Amino acid sequence: MSQWMTLLQKEILEMWRNFKWIWVPITFILLGVKEPLSSYYLPQILDAVGGLPEGAVIKLPTPTAAEVLITGLGQYTTLGVLIIVLTTMGIISGERKSGVAAMILVKPVSFQSFVSAKWAGSVLLMWFSFFIGYLSTWYYTGLLFDWIPFIQFLQSFFFYALWLTVILTVTIFFSSSFVNSGMAGFLSLVVVIVLSLVSSTLSNWLEWSPAQLTNYANEVLLDNGIPEDTLPASLIAAVFINVLLSLSVFIFRKKELAQ
Amino acid sequence: MDTLANYLPIIAPILIIQLILLIVAIFDLVRIEKTNGPKWLWVIIILFINIIGPILYFVIGRKSN
Amino acid sequence: MSLIKISGLKKSFQGTEVIKGLDFTLEKEKCIALLGPNGAGKTTILRILSGLMKPTEGDITFTEAKKGEDIRDFIGYLPQFPVFYDWMSGLEFLSYVGKLAGLTGKEAKERSLELLELVGIIDAKNRKTAKYSGGMKQRLGIAQALIHRPKLIMLDEPVSALDPIGRREVLDLLEELRKETTILFSTHILSDAEEVCDEILFLHNGKIVESGTMTDLRERHQQAKIDLFFRGKAEKYANFLSNHELTQSVRIEGNKVSVFVKDVSLARRAFLQAIAEQNWPLEKFEVSSMTLEDVFMKVVGK
Repeated sequence: MSQWMTLLQKEILEMWRNFKWIWVPITFILLGVKEPLSSYYLPQILDAVGGLPEGAVIKLPTPTAAEVLITGLGQYTTLGVLIIVLTTMGIISGERKSGVAAMILVKPVSFQSFVSAKWAGSVLLMWFSFFIGYLSTWYYTGLLFDWIPFIQFLQSFFFYALWLTVILTVTIFFSSSFVNSGMAGFLSLVVVIVLSLVSSTLSNWLEWSPAQLTNYANEVLLDNGIPEDTLPASLIAAVFINVLLSLSVFIFRKKELAQ
Repeated sequence: MDTLANYLPIIAPILIIQLILLIVAIFDLVRIEKTNGPKWLWVIIILFINIIGPILYFVIGRKSN
Repeated sequence: MSLIKISGLKKSFQGTEVIKGLDFTLEKEKCIALLGPNGAGKTTILRILSGLMKPTEGDITFTEAKKGEDIRDFIGYLPQFPVFYDWMSGLEFLSYVGKLAGLTGKEAKERSLELLELVGIIDAKNRKTAKYSGGMKQRLGIAQALIHRPKLIMLDEPVSALDPIGRREVLDLLEELRKETTILFSTHILSDAEEVCDEILFLHNGKIVESGTMTDLRERHQQAKIDLFFRGKAEKYANFLSNHELTQSVRIEGNKVSVFVKDVSLARRAFLQAIAEQNWPLEKFEVSSMTLEDVFMKVVGK
């Protein structure tokens, strides 16, 4: 346990030294406030651009607070995912490529701790960043539109974060399977896109797919309560994360550290 | 003027964290040994491409090991 | 007392056998050099012993390790090109690996400072490793190998990347270390092996072709040798020498001919006579015993 903590502390310290603790949360905040701000100021923006002919009446229905939050959350499934994948893809492959993983693993360090501490470090950063990013979406939506109950915010946060954790774990899996970080990142994105597409086109059959968690979060925000498929989908997500993590350790251990 | 006073409390925090992002990026760029691509190019990208510039630097500009 | 036993060790890469069946035992508190030309398989052997690679066949037994014990506890390893986290200082890196190897935070720091002092880079303890020179990295690499007081330290070509001064310092450091632990180090430089080590394992094409202490080796390969130094190229005189009835083999290096003979006194008389008759430009005539290099050349069959 103390060795695992040492490994985790190193991850956390590294993310301080390369400023991940600052830039990733800030990026998530900027990503999060974009939607409420632009929806609110859209009429003024159009006005200022002045591209409309004289006398044209702009009729823009004012979106509801829930709609704004849902669109805001959507940002995290695209740009947010991209940032998660890009910042995580080299986390194991990079250390193996540079040879520093070999320096560490000739010491009596368990492979499982090595991989899982890296996973835990990335999860901490991601949850923290996503939390304050989404919190600012919620806050600005409340300020400019209407206040969504905080409990709904928390519920939707949790379901979304679980799905993002699945994505992060997929990236860790590929990072421990390939020495080439770019390859790891590319494959992670492919898997995530396929998973999302398949789940949304076959949503009637794949109600328990972890990718559906984003839709269930939206349902919560629309005041429809927590859909009953949320629990199985969350459990499957948790199992999937565990299996992927064990597989990562297994593959990483099988690979020889020196070429 | 009235409208500016209304906007300011909303916009100001966002401008401040954007500024923090920019400063941190420049600070890191100055201290780092090597970047992917020439350093001066990154200075320009960080300073002149609003928001995206610093993020781009952190995601692909940094080079470690 | 043996420390580690290796039997029937083989390693293949994509069907090509690189290590072709090794059997040897390392004795406690000895210094052993793994000597061989580039490509002989030295690095592969060290990587297998350190656990970074798995052998295709064979067993490695640590005599003192209980069943199920992690052998990495007993080993310190320095790869040929050590790398570190470049955002850590030397002290931070050492303390980090110390803690990973089971020391408490306080112990790890004390031990790190002690080792930085020992390897002579204490002044750079707070500098980022990214800013270390090649020699400093090599020293930090030695320090990290020693952090958990391993029973065996393995160093892969520890001096070949260093300048003459750095090399001298590291060799002296090895002399110090051999008082405390067993050292196995690989090198392709004969004099380094001869200087620091008690025992030598000659490796050639993935096999141990000869092994033993320096004295053993000399005795086993004792063969009278006469070195003749000529003015100008020695080749034209070699023909006569190699066809001589007392000659066993001949080696030519520039203006020097080394002749291995059956009987020194007879050969000396015969050669000197021939040289005098034919008026060869001899500069130096030396009857000598075999050097490590001679043994090496002989066992690798050149």
